[in-house]
Amino acid sequence: MNPIAALRYGWNVNVLGPAVLRLQRWQAQRRPARWDTRYLAPPLRIAPRTKELVARHWLAGRYASGYRKVAWVTSGAPVELLKALDFYVLYPENHAAICGTARLAVDIASEAEGAGYSRDLCSYARTDIGAVLSGKTPVGRLPKPDVLFACTNICQTVLFWYRVLAEYFGAPLVLIDTPFVYTEEAAEHAVRYVRRQLEEAVPVLERIAGKRLDERKLRRVGLLSKRASELWLEILQRCRHRPAPLSVFDQFIQMAPIVEMRGDPETVDFYAALLKEVDERIAAGIGAVKNERKRVLWDNLPIWYRLRYLAEFLAERGVAVVASTYTNAWGELAPLIDPDDLWESMARTYIYPILNRGTGHKLRTMRQMVEEYGLDGAILHSDRSCKPYSIGQMDQRDRLIRELGVPALLLEADHNDFRVFAEEQAATRLAAFVEMLG
Amino acid sequence: MELLPTIPSRTETLRAWKAQGGGVAAVLPIHYPRALLRAFGLLPVEVWGPPRVDPAPGAAHLQPYVCSIVGNALSFLLSGGLDGTDVIVVPHACDSLQGLGSLLLDFVRPRQPVFPFYLPRGRRESDLQFLTEEFRALYGKLAAATGRAPSEAELMESIRREEEADGLLTELHRRRRALPLTDIAFYRLVRAREYLPAEAFSALARAVLDAPPTDPRAGVPILLSGIVPEPMALLDAVAEMGGVVVADDLACCGRRLYPSGASPDPFRRMAERILNGPPDPTRGSPIAERLRHLVGMARETGARGVVFYDVKFCEPELFDLPLLRRGLQEAGLPSVHIEVDLNDPLSGQTLTRIEAFLEMVLTLPPPPSAAGEG
Ligand code: SF4
Ligand code: SF4
Repeated sequence: MNPIAALRYGWNVNVLGPAVLRLQRWQAQRRPARWDTRYLAPPLRIAPRTKELVARHWLAGRYASGYRKVAWVTSGAPVELLKALDFYVLYPENHAAICGTARLAVDIASEAEGAGYSRDLCSYARTDIGAVLSGKTPVGRLPKPDVLFACTNICQTVLFWYRVLAEYFGAPLVLIDTPFVYTEEAAEHAVRYVRRQLEEAVPVLERIAGKRLDERKLRRVGLLSKRASELWLEILQRCRHRPAPLSVFDQFIQMAPIVEMRGDPETVDFYAALLKEVDERIAAGIGAVKNERKRVLWDNLPIWYRLRYLAEFLAERGVAVVASTYTNAWGELAPLIDPDDLWESMARTYIYPILNRGTGHKLRTMRQMVEEYGLDGAILHSDRSCKPYSIGQMDQRDRLIRELGVPALLLEADHNDFRVFAEEQAATRLAAFVEMLG
Repeated sequence: MELLPTIPSRTETLRAWKAQGGGVAAVLPIHYPRALLRAFGLLPVEVWGPPRVDPAPGAAHLQPYVCSIVGNALSFLLSGGLDGTDVIVVPHACDSLQGLGSLLLDFVRPRQPVFPFYLPRGRRESDLQFLTEEFRALYGKLAAATGRAPSEAELMESIRREEEADGLLTELHRRRRALPLTDIAFYRLVRAREYLPAEAFSALARAVLDAPPTDPRAGVPILLSGIVPEPMALLDAVAEMGGVVVADDLACCGRRLYPSGASPDPFRRMAERILNGPPDPTRGSPIAERLRHLVGMARETGARGVVFYDVKFCEPELFDLPLLRRGLQEAGLPSVHIEVDLNDPLSGQTLTRIEAFLEMVLTLPPPPSAAGEG
């Protein structure tokens, strides 16, 4: 560890940064709501704290180089291993989503496009590669990775993308390859394969971290990870209540810690506080949408640059989007994590994310959500950037309509690239969909 | 110059095979264990699209941003193109083929049983073990579907047949420039490996390899990379413009020159062969390894430029492209990138770009290692 880097980290991340962020939180708590409160509930009280937590995470990243080892990680990766080895963990997908929400993604992705990366590639990847090439980022600075840790349980795209990063940074790429689960159950040899890779990753990561993996610490991290995921799932399930205390647009914003800070004690505390606030909303009869007439499912990634537009457009018409296959993905596997049998349970947990399962499984999940959340319709975001999530949606939509009798809309867009979002067309289609909801 | 033995067409081959009581496996791209299918009496017949089909049936299930290899395969299936086949095998090459395999199983549900399988993205011992087990699992599914249970000896015999055919295929690639074949004839021959029984392919290959060598064909030597050279008229057009394809890194051709395996266990041996094949993004090969491979091929064959001929929306190809092109440029090898949809005819624009590229290549000094060749 470089002593100057340690001092810089200590001062900025533990002293100065938190003070500034607290001040910003204090100011945010006093700022009037930005989203239209004629149709939407006032913002969650916890929102400024979310911002603070996330900002602190990125601040730590900004000063991590030279002080902590840095891992760049895919969103579905078994992060517990890295946390237990004290890596600073950076999620390029989350960074790209931050750029998307701030509407900076296209500008940053253009840097990658200028270097030859096609506009047909996932816009998260383009945003990230653009940030690497240009240094442009809304979070100050991205620390260079000491290791790239890719897990194919969300898509193969991440591996193509991380192979590119490996060349730019000259950093080792550790792969956890998770065979796609076409049928209900993963084959036993596939689970064994994932487990073997997890075990084989340990000496590589230990060498980079410069320390041995402490199994007790790993167990602690596993427990924290499980607890945070359980709380997240509980929060989502509270939306079965009428009116739903949260909309998926709230969930999209509140999910950042469960993705990028899983395994940290602060994340558990944060979600415990959020759950409490959600329960208070329920007790007070507060719905995320003031006049909740209809309840709808969201499938696929958010359209980050139009969250507010979509939230307001639908809320104005009394439509609450209360459940989503996407936010659910970070909670639904919580029961699989078993801190007493961590290696085996990690292998199973990380092979089963919704994106690593068949199109029929996704339809079953959607059907179940329609029933459990009492939904009247579904919006399936056909995300040009995300083939693994989007392929299958045309049949899923048809079956939701035919078999459950609920209106279902395929909404063409892209999660980060606003150049492919045709707002007028989307508004027309959404309005027609709302009409069909009755 | 042309000495191309008559190559039976797909239709003829299928008819003759079925007449002998054999079954047929329709196989999607890219890597799969041919020997395993053959051991069950199934002739693997590959489905690379095919080009120029009515895309409408597939478009009812797939969004327009899915590549035309996958879109056309589904359209072809839905319009009866695979009716004569007995099973459908879908290797997991990319997110789009993953989606297709899943769609077939869950929603489209064709008459034939569908067998997807996963290809590991590394070359570690754990990858080899997994693929070995994956092939064992596929054996079980094929046994259940066909009611047959080939012995280890039968599997080994089947593997030897395929290894021999692949050895000859590799030799054809190695000696391609001195073979008495034009580019299009060469590709008709090597692509017959996509549907001919290995022994029939080997006989054809031997006939060509045994012919007296000719003078290397003249022209601007280029290396062709990408997925599939469709429409095949592209090759004639390149020749007319003065180009000659001296090596390829095509998913359907050069990336499948599998070396023979070493293991006495047939399943492991089939896995070894695939994992030890030339670098391929769909098998997770590092970009640097791909670059070394391309530069090495260019040096060996005297190629003076690279044409990346990709299928639109193909992520595996598109991600590697900028770094490959940069690395090639640094090695003195210019390149051009062309994207096509399998349903488009060969466009004037594509031809103009290739022609301009060939002209540009000629104005550059040959890369040091290729001097004196070409
Ligand atoms: S958005 Fe889709 S394609 Fe892109 S990284 Fe995420 S899962 Fe992969
Ligand atoms: S062309 Fe590319 S995206 Fe399409 S099936 Fe082949 S590898 Fe996959």
